[in-house]
Amino acid sequence: MLLDFDRLGWWRWALGGFTAAVAAFLLLPIVFIAALSFGSSQWLIFPPPSWTTRWYSELFADQRWLDAALNSLKIGLVVTVLSVVIGLAASFALVRGRFRGRETLKALFLTPMILPVVVLAVALYAFFLRLGINGTMTGFVIAHLLVALPFSILALTTALEGFDKSIEDAAILCGASPFEAKMRVTLPGISAGLFSAAIFSFLTSWDEVVLAIFMASPTLQTLPVRIWSTLRQDLTPVVASVSTLLVLVTIVLMLLVALIRKGLSKP
Amino acid sequence: MSSLTESRSVTGRQGGRRMPRLFGEVGPALPAFLLIVFFFVAPVVALLLRSVLEPVPGLQNYETLLGSATYIGVFANTFIVSTVVTAAALAIGFPVAWALVVMPMTWSRIVFAILILSMWTNLLARTYAWMVLLQRTGLINKMLMAVGLTDEPLTLVNNLTGVTIGMTYIMLPFVILPLYGVISNIDKAVLRAAALCGANRWQALTRVLLPLAAPGMAAGGLMVFVMSLGYFVTPALLGGTSNMMLAELIAQLVQSLTDWGLGSAAAFVLLLSTLVLYGLMLKFFGTSRLGGQ
Repeated sequence: MLLDFDRLGWWRWALGGFTAAVAAFLLLPIVFIAALSFGSSQWLIFPPPSWTTRWYSELFADQRWLDAALNSLKIGLVVTVLSVVIGLAASFALVRGRFRGRETLKALFLTPMILPVVVLAVALYAFFLRLGINGTMTGFVIAHLLVALPFSILALTTALEGFDKSIEDAAILCGASPFEAKMRVTLPGISAGLFSAAIFSFLTSWDEVVLAIFMASPTLQTLPVRIWSTLRQDLTPVVASVSTLLVLVTIVLMLLVALIRKGLSKP
Repeated sequence: MSSLTESRSVTGRQGGRRMPRLFGEVGPALPAFLLIVFFFVAPVVALLLRSVLEPVPGLQNYETLLGSATYIGVFANTFIVSTVVTAAALAIGFPVAWALVVMPMTWSRIVFAILILSMWTNLLARTYAWMVLLQRTGLINKMLMAVGLTDEPLTLVNNLTGVTIGMTYIMLPFVILPLYGVISNIDKAVLRAAALCGANRWQALTRVLLPLAAPGMAAGGLMVFVMSLGYFVTPALLGGTSNMMLAELIAQLVQSLTDWGLGSAAAFVLLLSTLVLYGLMLKFFGTSRLGGQ
């Protein structure tokens, strides 16, 4: 009764209306920011008196924003490659291995995802100060890799569990070396998982704020750090234009994930 | 090494030397293992040690933390905000998860897309939006005044109200997605049976659907509560300086005051609360719900 849409009676309108309101609530800030970024008001009056692209020009004219974006991109790409490679190797061990403590090992690998990131940030900050790599590219990559790796391992263990190992064995029986079989049979077979792992690793690194605030130095900042320090001073509309561009990046990457899952899940 | 392992698994022969086989199977996990041990476990343990070693060995950092009204206030803020956010997220999330199960596919797809988009949109972008929406001259105050709910603008930001609104917004998908999984696994026949036995809709909801969804509510609620306890960005931007939350306190003690002993002790309190709550979650709901994205 309550789980049959046709038999809900007027409750269905109440439930539907409520859900629509919540969906609007979830969408509101995202749409609002996009509208705001084209508004002419310096003080973020809404609805704005007129429309402008001034904040975008200011954004692109400011070398500091461009540098920050470039740093984020560089760190994100390095983290993505490392996260997928290390995650893939670990996932093979976690899925194919028959050793004691496998579950514990997987839990250990996923812990950085569930622990409060501020604890990890403070701990790494202290550690990196000792090692002298605070505020360097290496520091950023290690810190971001720690939180990206769990996403990669989750995506890749799921993909490997769903892959029939006998296909790989068949390739070996037909004369392929085990390495060749993995490269030419197994990896193409789990390519959807590899793409998800890569995209989620990239997004995790690209959006990371808390770790980045602690890793950053005056000379090396990522985009979120730059937004953070700007927001601590004032609510300039330039942040609205950066945010809108960030939302666009997210939408493109999410569409990519959806398309890849759709396209590659078909045999 | 790996060729040995592979050829054996193909031909199905068993036995042989144990160590090489074990290395072939565990070996690939080594880089990830070293990374986690060296850059995660070791730094966290080192940090915890500082809480009892600095400035002098002993438990005085914990005494300071638990003995001062300021710090107790921070713990109280954290606890209250996390509780309200969890309750609000569950109250709003349950009807939505339920609707997602019964709705026609086209509609539920759209809601899912919005959920995923909101979840993966940059945290700072979302928080910035709320900073602007909630300010005195912001859209929310204008709307409240237009419908006559208030005569003058309310202070919705730089206080715990702002933090609660912003965090509820952020946590909603984390309640809705797992709850959707739980409700969609409930057998429709059970609710039809309730109707056949004469239950009206309200009775079916309170005596059948809600109890059946309760484990999911508890698991999702606990997860949101734990995440809220350690949240840093949103409280720091939407909250005021006078009512801090725990994560901000840790950051401030370490970064601005460089009081590593006290900061580490506060971090340990947060870590311990998180681990205890996750432990409870594992005990009651098994491993399957953990780490579900």
